Amino acid sequence: MQTLKESGLIRDDEIFLRMNLAERIQHILLVVSFTLLVLTGLPLMFYELRIFKSIFSLENAFAFRGLLHRAAAVILIVDMAWHSAYTVLTRRGRQNFRELLPGWKDGRDAVALFGYNVGLSGWLYRKGILKAFFDRHPFWKFENPPEYGRYNFIEKFEYLSVAWGSVVMILSGFFMWNVELSLGIFPLWVHDIFVIAHGYEAMLAFLAIIIWHMYNVHLNPEVFPMSKVWLNGRISGHELKTLHPLEYRKILSERQRSLDASSPGAESGPDPAR
Amino acid sequence: MRSRGALLGLMLTAAAVVWTAGPAVAAPSDDDCLTCHGDAGLKSDQGRPLYVDSAVFGASIHGEAGIACVDCHADLKKFEDFPHAAKLKPVDCAACHEEATAAFQGSVHGRPHTGANPITVQCKDCHGAHDVRPAKDALSHTAAINIPDTCLGCHLERVKTKRDQGFAARYKESDHYRALAKSGLNLAATCLSCHGGHTVLPVEDPGSKVSRQNIIKTCGACHTGIERDYLEGVHGKDYAKGNLDVPVCTDCHSGHDIRSPENLGSGVYATKVAAICTRCHDDEQLARRYSLVTSRLKTFSASYHGTASKFGEVKVANCSSCHGHHDIRPSSDPHSSINPANLAATCGTCHPGAGDNFSKGKIHVVSEKTENRWAYTVKIVYMVVIAGLISVFLAFIVADLYRRARSRCKR
Repeated sequence: MQTLKESGLIRDDEIFLRMNLAERIQHILLVVSFTLLVLTGLPLMFYELRIFKSIFSLENAFAFRGLLHRAAAVILIVDMAWHSAYTVLTRRGRQNFRELLPGWKDGRDAVALFGYNVGLSGWLYRKGILKAFFDRHPFWKFENPPEYGRYNFIEKFEYLSVAWGSVVMILSGFFMWNVELSLGIFPLWVHDIFVIAHGYEAMLAFLAIIIWHMYNVHLNPEVFPMSKVWLNGRISGHELKTLHPLEYRKILSERQRSLDASSPGAESGPDPAR
Repeated sequence: MRSRGALLGLMLTAAAVVWTAGPAVAAPSDDDCLTCHGDAGLKSDQGRPLYVDSAVFGASIHGEAGIACVDCHADLKKFEDFPHAAKLKPVDCAACHEEATAAFQGSVHGRPHTGANPITVQCKDCHGAHDVRPAKDALSHTAAINIPDTCLGCHLERVKTKRDQGFAARYKESDHYRALAKSGLNLAATCLSCHGGHTVLPVEDPGSKVSRQNIIKTCGACHTGIERDYLEGVHGKDYAKGNLDVPVCTDCHSGHDIRSPENLGSGVYATKVAAICTRCHDDEQLARRYSLVTSRLKTFSASYHGTASKFGEVKVANCSSCHGHHDIRPSSDPHSSINPANLAATCGTCHPGAGDNFSKGKIHVVSEKTENRWAYTVKIVYMVVIAGLISVFLAFIVADLYRRARSRCKR
């Protein structure tokens, strides 16, 4: 991995704003609503478990569960509406969205990361097995971990999953909330599909968050016990260099260009803190 | 009252004396008996009290009618040399109450009980001895309001029936007893109303009022409208044909602790109905015999109605909300609440404005594969996606940890 030297243009301790206040609040609202929705929704999926039965043995506890679920749903809907408007209406939102669109590179990155982590190709190459193939196609050697831009394939995948999941959950949930309306439009068997999709999509989201997101932002030794970006929104020049080298280089070259043009006070990178 | 009774008694005794008096002996009068038995402290050698309260006897139906001691204790009629023997013959009520005694002889109480400690039941065990009063009299042991305690006198502890010991006492938890004791309604069903009085028979006996063969009629004696509804339903129609597998009143409502469906302790409380119905409807043997569709509880529980019900929510639909209760009919019956033509109205009781769409789909199906292909497809796709994605996630995590462990070792 070719390491980027510390440049005079970006100091290692320089602070970049990765998530601004609006984005952080959007994320917190998502955390709150998601947690509440899972806690109040999951018991319906696992109604056989005794623990849930004892929780709901209190009078009106079940009705309260429903109330809480719908309240959390409203938070999620508002959050999604806000985020959509933010994405469409603000420059930063549009830029972020463009950065989040998946491309072929993301597929290559995923394969490359996995291959690099497993290290099988490197071992084979060193042993001289399939040497000709690896020489012709150096990508498959997986010598270095992939280099990411502002968002890596993991983050893009999570973002798009949340987007898809929210649409499915909000639509199916809306019709489950308003059964009479739903059955005024759809036959019962379609409504049944809403119910099934709502449950399974919830399971998918829950497992994805618990396994994938929690590993990447909490348990991963690099960030353990927790990446603080979601709280203070800040990322250092050093972190930018190691985690998002392509973005780092982009900022660097922009600064270089503006320096070359020798127009003072034109630090207009996409993400400087100020 | 008393004086009149006493007078009547005196006259009757006199008449009896005149009539039976042969040449010499006059039967001992009540006063003769009370000379000893009027002593409150009189006891037998075994310590059994032998005191007879003349006031109590005087107020009893026999006392009022002027029946004398020796009319019942007949072996003393011709006795002179008091005190008499310690052991007298048991009083034979049949001398006057022939019909009642005959009915009683045929009942479970009248039969010799088998077992280690055979119990003989006598008239006085229920009616009392010297204090017998007519059932209409609120002070009578056999007055409706006192019947439960009279029966429980034995059935609470002493008598073991085939059911568990406290079974009879559970009547006191019923709404019947509440009506009787709390509201003071003597029309409320007591032990007697269902089991009969002198003719009481065990439940297995086809002749018993509470046997499967007769229970519908017995309950219907008061709950006439419900009996009519039941006999029109799918269960009742088979019942009328002599089928004993169909549920009768007591199968759903229990025998003794019958409570209103609004009562949490009732077996037919909203959240418990599903368990009651599926006891038969999920039973493999019955299902095979009558080609019932099983997995009713499982499929109901998986629906929102069933899940919420399981968690104690009473507002959601249970079996009877849609299928009815006493007059349950098959969906093919045009009068059935679940006939496709009536579904909109049935669902509409909870879901206002329910339209035809409510009937376009199947409810609690065993196999979505055959009943709702699209839902089945969605389910399968999700399962595959979930399994696939989770595997990929785990593979990435393991690979990541593996690389970190490897590089640490190298260092």
